[in-house]
Amino acid sequence: MGQFIQLVVDGLSNGSIYAVLALAIVLVNQATGMINFAQGGMAVLSAYVTWRLVEAGLPLIVAILLAVLASFIVGGLLERFLMRRFERGDPDTAVVVTIGLLTLITGVCGWLWTYNNQQFPSLFPLHTVRIFGAAVSVRSIGTFLAIVAIMLVVQALFLGTKLGLALRAVAINPESAAFSGLPVGRLLMAGWGLAAALGAVAGALVAPQLTLTPGMMDTALVYALAAVILGGLSSPVGVVCAAWLIGVLENLAAVYVHFIGYDLKVAVPFILIFVVLIVRPQGLFGRKVVVRV
Amino acid sequence: MSLATGLLSRAWVRWAITAVVVVVLFVLPLQLDEYTNQNLARIGVFAVAVLGLNVVMGYTGQVSLGQIFFVGAGAYVTGYGASHDWNIVLVFVASVLVPGVIGLLVALAAARLGGLAIAMVTIALPIVGVPFAKRLSDFTGGSQGMSSAFSNAPGWTGLYNDQWQLYIVLVVGGAVFLLIRNLVRGKYGRAFAIVKDNEAVAASMGISPYRYKVLAFTVASLIGGASGFLYMAVIQFTSPETMSFGHSITLLASMVIGGAASILGSLLGGAYYVLVPQWSNDIDPNLTELLQGALLLLTLLLLPGGLATLPRVLARTLRRTRTPDPSERRQTPSAPPAPGRASVEETPTVGGIPAQSPTERQEQA
Repeated sequence: MGQFIQLVVDGLSNGSIYAVLALAIVLVNQATGMINFAQGGMAVLSAYVTWRLVEAGLPLIVAILLAVLASFIVGGLLERFLMRRFERGDPDTAVVVTIGLLTLITGVCGWLWTYNNQQFPSLFPLHTVRIFGAAVSVRSIGTFLAIVAIMLVVQALFLGTKLGLALRAVAINPESAAFSGLPVGRLLMAGWGLAAALGAVAGALVAPQLTLTPGMMDTALVYALAAVILGGLSSPVGVVCAAWLIGVLENLAAVYVHFIGYDLKVAVPFILIFVVLIVRPQGLFGRKVVVRV
Repeated sequence: MSLATGLLSRAWVRWAITAVVVVVLFVLPLQLDEYTNQNLARIGVFAVAVLGLNVVMGYTGQVSLGQIFFVGAGAYVTGYGASHDWNIVLVFVASVLVPGVIGLLVALAAARLGGLAIAMVTIALPIVGVPFAKRLSDFTGGSQGMSSAFSNAPGWTGLYNDQWQLYIVLVVGGAVFLLIRNLVRGKYGRAFAIVKDNEAVAASMGISPYRYKVLAFTVASLIGGASGFLYMAVIQFTSPETMSFGHSITLLASMVIGGAASILGSLLGGAYYVLVPQWSNDIDPNLTELLQGALLLLTLLLLPGGLATLPRVLARTLRRTRTPDPSERRQTPSAPPAPGRASVEETPTVGGIPAQSPTERQEQA
């Protein structure tokens, strides 16, 4: 029982990180209709910036906040000067562009800071506490709570502020939004910036566990994409639930299903996807999209 | 120019050119040094892999990040069969069919999702494939990988190994290229193109987008398997690293840089895959990935049709700078082409972005 609780809490903590990345992907997709495969790469870049700032002597929390701010700006600039040229075109080309961006960012990180693993300080203490007889690490609980708090803030931003309203309007119908006087271009930049800022948080939270390398987020990206498919692109709540489900299930499968084990647990979300695709192609929470021709 | 096209339109000229090319390809491996032969054979291997990716992505417009998985699977089946002394024909058939069946199963599920989701599912293939290959160590040799020397030159030929391997690549790769060229120029190629262009139109014409996506993906994985067979024949070693995520991205970059939806582009893509990392590793291994990302983005921005369209684009630029024809200029603002016209004309695209801007198209009309 103790092991079970421990696995569930660790799974929720991992799942939260996938959830943040998945939310960033959904945010960009809702605003521009594209899937940003570079979201993980951008998060790695932010984590490297955080790491450099800490090395330069800043306290960790200040470094993270500065990196989040920098990511917001870089995300907006990327949208304005690179992605906008491809937004009106074919979504498949845009996907290839984001894959190019992923390679470029990974390459920049590797070139500037080498491909060696770097130690990244943890925001939370590393000791464990006992809950119902299970040794649960403070880091897992802290990560989970931090991310729930961030999600609530994002939700409040989207539902309770003028900016959120404008962003949703642009996502639903850019033309009408432009006609009613909204600065669509700047809002798209803000959408990309917010997504990059979310990614920066995910990067800072996952880096202590995985140690910092240019390819650190590749696997997390795959989990996040799986969560996006499972939850359905149109449903942020669904995506977050799917990410938690994936985090917990893969941890349980790694221990209790002998064939899967720790090395093959990355297959778990995809077995889940295949089952869901056959039963419910629009995702667990998504709506079926009907396109008018 | 007109003389050349006039000559090319005659059947016997084309046959003669084909015959010359075949003879040159037959003689070339005997003349070149070992290093060049090996490089050419590797280019052939990855040209076939890029061709497979082109069938699903270039021609049918479905982004696949999993092509390298099928190459790896083909290589493993080849290695396993060869080390158990199967008949070489059986080895080849198995190395093509096993990835093909896996591809069919993946496609049956993945093609149910709209557009981009295929990319999101296929990204899992290399990521899951690597630990899976390590796990099945009884078949694959685990992280150590497996080697196989089935492609050493038999004694009666009197050839060196590199020459014999290049011949294998030329024969098998040539056959695959010929088959796929015929496939994409025929009925199926037109069906792929309309699925890429507009699924709703395809469906209204009685062409099931689902079925053709599954078909294209399966064909791509069959070709991936053939490429894996050649990989084992040329490199004689494979490990889980063969199908890593990084290689998958490089394969995709090769296809886009070489030229999407182009047979010539696939060959150029194979050359890119082999040669550019070699050169950049000579400069600085840490720069390889940076360079690849920059090249991929530059290609998408400046030359969306890839290197295969470079001669055409250059010719057009030259023509425009040499003869600024006033009559053409005058037409542009006043006489836009009929609305239906531009969409009917065949324009080179990479995944839908026209390789020429609308104004250029108007000038031509």
